[in-house]
Amino acid sequence: MAPIVRISNLNKYFGRLHVLKNISLEVQPREVICLIGRSGSGKSTLLRCINFLEEPSGGSIEVDGLTVHSHERGNEHRQRIHEVRLKTGMVFQEFNLFPHMSVLQNVIEGPVTVKGMERSEAIALGEKNLDSVGMLFKRDEYPLRLSGGQKQRVAIARALTMQPRVMLFDEPTSALDPELIGEVLNVMKKVAKDGMTMIVVTHEMGFAREVADRVLVMAEGEIIEDANPTALFSAPKDPRTQALIERYRTGGR
Amino acid sequence: MDTANSSGQSQADLLVAVQKRKQANFRMGVGATWGILLLILIFLFSGKSIGSYQTIQLNTEFMRNNLAFIGGGLGQTLFVSILSILLAMLLALLTALGRLSTFPPIFALSTFYVSLIRGTPLYLQIFFFFLALPQLGIILSGVLAGVLALGLNYGAYMSETFRAALSSVGKGQREAATALGMTPLQTMRRVILPQALRFAIPPMGNDFISMTKDSALVSATGFVHELMWRAQKVGRAQFNNLEALLMAAMFYWVMTLLLTFLQSRLEAYLAKGDR
Repeated sequence: MAPIVRISNLNKYFGRLHVLKNISLEVQPREVICLIGRSGSGKSTLLRCINFLEEPSGGSIEVDGLTVHSHERGNEHRQRIHEVRLKTGMVFQEFNLFPHMSVLQNVIEGPVTVKGMERSEAIALGEKNLDSVGMLFKRDEYPLRLSGGQKQRVAIARALTMQPRVMLFDEPTSALDPELIGEVLNVMKKVAKDGMTMIVVTHEMGFAREVADRVLVMAEGEIIEDANPTALFSAPKDPRTQALIERYRTGGR
Repeated sequence: MDTANSSGQSQADLLVAVQKRKQANFRMGVGATWGILLLILIFLFSGKSIGSYQTIQLNTEFMRNNLAFIGGGLGQTLFVSILSILLAMLLALLTALGRLSTFPPIFALSTFYVSLIRGTPLYLQIFFFFLALPQLGIILSGVLAGVLALGLNYGAYMSETFRAALSSVGKGQREAATALGMTPLQTMRRVILPQALRFAIPPMGNDFISMTKDSALVSATGFVHELMWRAQKVGRAQFNNLEALLMAAMFYWVMTLLLTFLQSRLEAYLAKGDR
């Protein structure tokens, strides 16, 4: 099967800092990938390069058959980036719901404004997704009135309503109170079970172990280990991976 | 258990009552002091004397006769202010957006405009519009020239308000919109502006209140028959400058009191709608 995401020789500099070092990665359809690593290892940057929230300094990104080379410029290039964004949904650590819109408006904003979808169609789709994350009962509420976990579930529904091919999660539970993490992880498990391709930057080792098909360990801008969770957690090869896993084990997560 | 609970309840009630009494006392004190200060102010213009000290003697007949004439300028003052603030808001928004532009001419245009206007006095700008525009063959009515001068001036200052409001909207909002596939224009229109405008409304209310008073400067050109112009006209003609200015001052003050009240209501409404 052809990979749905193919990252080739991706490089990223912040000023003089080389944060992503020649990264290549393939993700198969329906695969769930967890990216772990210490903060500053480049895992969030890698994720954000996939939908061009960060502009890659070199290399290419292919999503669902659409390739964007970092060295290209111009309108056609911008159009391809736009199409890649339509194929990817993103969930942020800080939720980033639109505070001036109700839950339902948040969810249908993308389809209506960006895709020009019929409002009634978007509402039907949005309500279906809100229902699947268990947030339909708050459809007319404003984000300020929601808990962190509820906000994140709405954010997931918002991304899903764009009907993406790949979902990107950037530390989706890191801003949550411990007791709210479970409800978000459960929703993510459900999304994975429905067959969505997912790339998840996370510190939740339990989630990685249980849900991921592959776990990627990043350190200093490189992928230092790429294995299935059972192999990785029982027999980590790189000493940095060992240290990372040990740290979480003693940290209780 | 029950008694402890109920006594705890009454304790809380007591504390709330004390707190409320304190607040009421404070408000009463403030109100009373305002009243006294107002009385002193009125006394200063009463013409009465305490011992050898004399207060100001006003020609009350003149005041009665010209109250309607001066007050007739209120409409013009408000008219000029409202038109000017609308122009200023438009210019301020465009300028603030221009400051965000990465296209050098647009950025330069915004900064040049703000620098030029903020670097010169409003009084001078108003005269400049009257003297310079006709030389360019542009003949404007007094009101229009005044509105243009005030609008341009306040637009430059308010652009900073808008800029602050725009930057108060977090980077995450822009990223969320971008990730959904919105274009920069859609992001601005659907996500950034609605949030920024709500943030900018209270300071814009303040600017409007100051503008109603700065509109007095337009009278200097002699073509806009607003409060200040009328006060000066009748004051000079009948040698009752003080009375005329005093009446204009009262009109301005009452007007700003009303506007301040409306402004506080608007702010309360916006705070309630904050979600």
